[in-house]
Amino acid sequence: MLTFKDIVKSYEEDVLGPISIDIKNKSFVSIIGPSGSGKSTFLRLASGLIKQSSGLIGYNDNLKPKMGFVFQDSNLLPWRTVLDNVLLPLELTKEDKSKSIEKSLKWISRVGLGGKEDSFPNELSGGQKMRVSIARAMVQEGSLLLLDEPFSALDEVTRRRLEDDLLEIWKTNNITILFVTHSVTQAVYLSERVLVMSSGPGVIIEDLLINKKIDVGFEGTHEFLSQVKHLTDILRNEGI
Amino acid sequence: MYRYLSFIAPLLTFLVLLIFWEFLVNYNKVPLYILPAPSDIFLSLIVNYKDLFSSAFITLRITLFAFSIASSLAILLAILFSQSRLIELSLYPIAVIFQVTPVVAIAPLILIWVGFDNAEYAILILATIVAFFPVLANTNLGIKSVNENLHELFSLYGAGRYQRLVKLQIPFALPFILTGMKTSIGLSLIGTVVAEFVAGSGTSTGLAWRIIEAGNRLDIAKLFAALILLVILGIFLFLLISYIEKIVLKRWHDSSNI
Repeated sequence: MLTFKDIVKSYEEDVLGPISIDIKNKSFVSIIGPSGSGKSTFLRLASGLIKQSSGLIGYNDNLKPKMGFVFQDSNLLPWRTVLDNVLLPLELTKEDKSKSIEKSLKWISRVGLGGKEDSFPNELSGGQKMRVSIARAMVQEGSLLLLDEPFSALDEVTRRRLEDDLLEIWKTNNITILFVTHSVTQAVYLSERVLVMSSGPGVIIEDLLINKKIDVGFEGTHEFLSQVKHLTDILRNEGI
Repeated sequence: MYRYLSFIAPLLTFLVLLIFWEFLVNYNKVPLYILPAPSDIFLSLIVNYKDLFSSAFITLRITLFAFSIASSLAILLAILFSQSRLIELSLYPIAVIFQVTPVVAIAPLILIWVGFDNAEYAILILATIVAFFPVLANTNLGIKSVNENLHELFSLYGAGRYQRLVKLQIPFALPFILTGMKTSIGLSLIGTVVAEFVAGSGTSTGLAWRIIEAGNRLDIAKLFAALILLVILGIFLFLLISYIEKIVLKRWHDSSNI
């Protein structure tokens, strides 16, 4: 469980909060909202990259879990090969080298890039780079995966493939996913739960549990469309 | 096609200019002590090859030495800057002062301090000062240009200062460092030549000294021959660093494909 209790983040002025929310283990939660609503700040607070101005963030057993972060841009190190990029988190945490290589190769293969281990990022397509970024985020096999608008720069076909791959990774690895997106349809398609944030300073104005009776073909169902409409109406009322 | 053209076009232009120069000098019967024809310069290069090439070697040796010292010191200092804002604030203005002070103006001082018997050391110091700043400024810029998200990625995995420096900042700065080096190698040569000029005749036997000597004797063909060797040296040094850049950045940086 990840718990936010009365969290406020301020720089010169408040950018986020107050927010109080519990995120259940192994859930897939999307966060949508207008630009400047503090969605990315929410993720950075959850990851511990920035500190809250007030309030409490709690993790399971009060232990910060191992986690991966996927940025909007793939953020690969261009001087490192695919394998070396995926190895990076394990190198930084000084894990055993041979086991690290084994894990990295497994994740490279898992994201469908087997055979590309020795390629450099500038030899990959946008979608392939994002796959490497996901493999890098997952290689520590942590319990929390944070994604900050990871597919926004990709074409439709690649985006759809990556969405399905992400769902598969979530289902088979028992991880909690926090997913920031601008796309209402993407949020409804992927998540079990969608949080809608208001314009800055962002607070949660809607907390919707997604009603998903079927996985395959969900996008064509009445439930899908009505939930997309519901969230779109909320965002529209927010003046977006 | 364009690849060959980019090589052939300037070569042909250069050849046409040389032929035109040869023709003008011979047609107007310009005296040798005013403007020698290219053929006279070529002849002088052959006749004086021993003097000129040994001088070119001396200039090259000092240039490479100065460049190596300047680059190493500049990279170390930029790394130091990245570790301490206080050190950067304290030392960067001094580096700028050295950069903006004309080398000719401080050359006499350096010569006096080092001693006229050790003119070669004075030349080395002056060339190092001239070559230092571009590498410092570029390395500093490169280290500071690291994307904030990459810093966050390293923070997420608890990277220490050393890991951040070695695995992120220095590799990220590499293209910047090499760009600084490309400027710096040319400045090392210029610094060496200027310092040789200031050190004066009799104290050094680099190419600049040969130019002074030839000028004093109105041996303009030899002067041109020394000048040509200097140009060749400059081009060689630039190509050398460009080649190193290509090898180092090989597959991962777009600039290596230019």
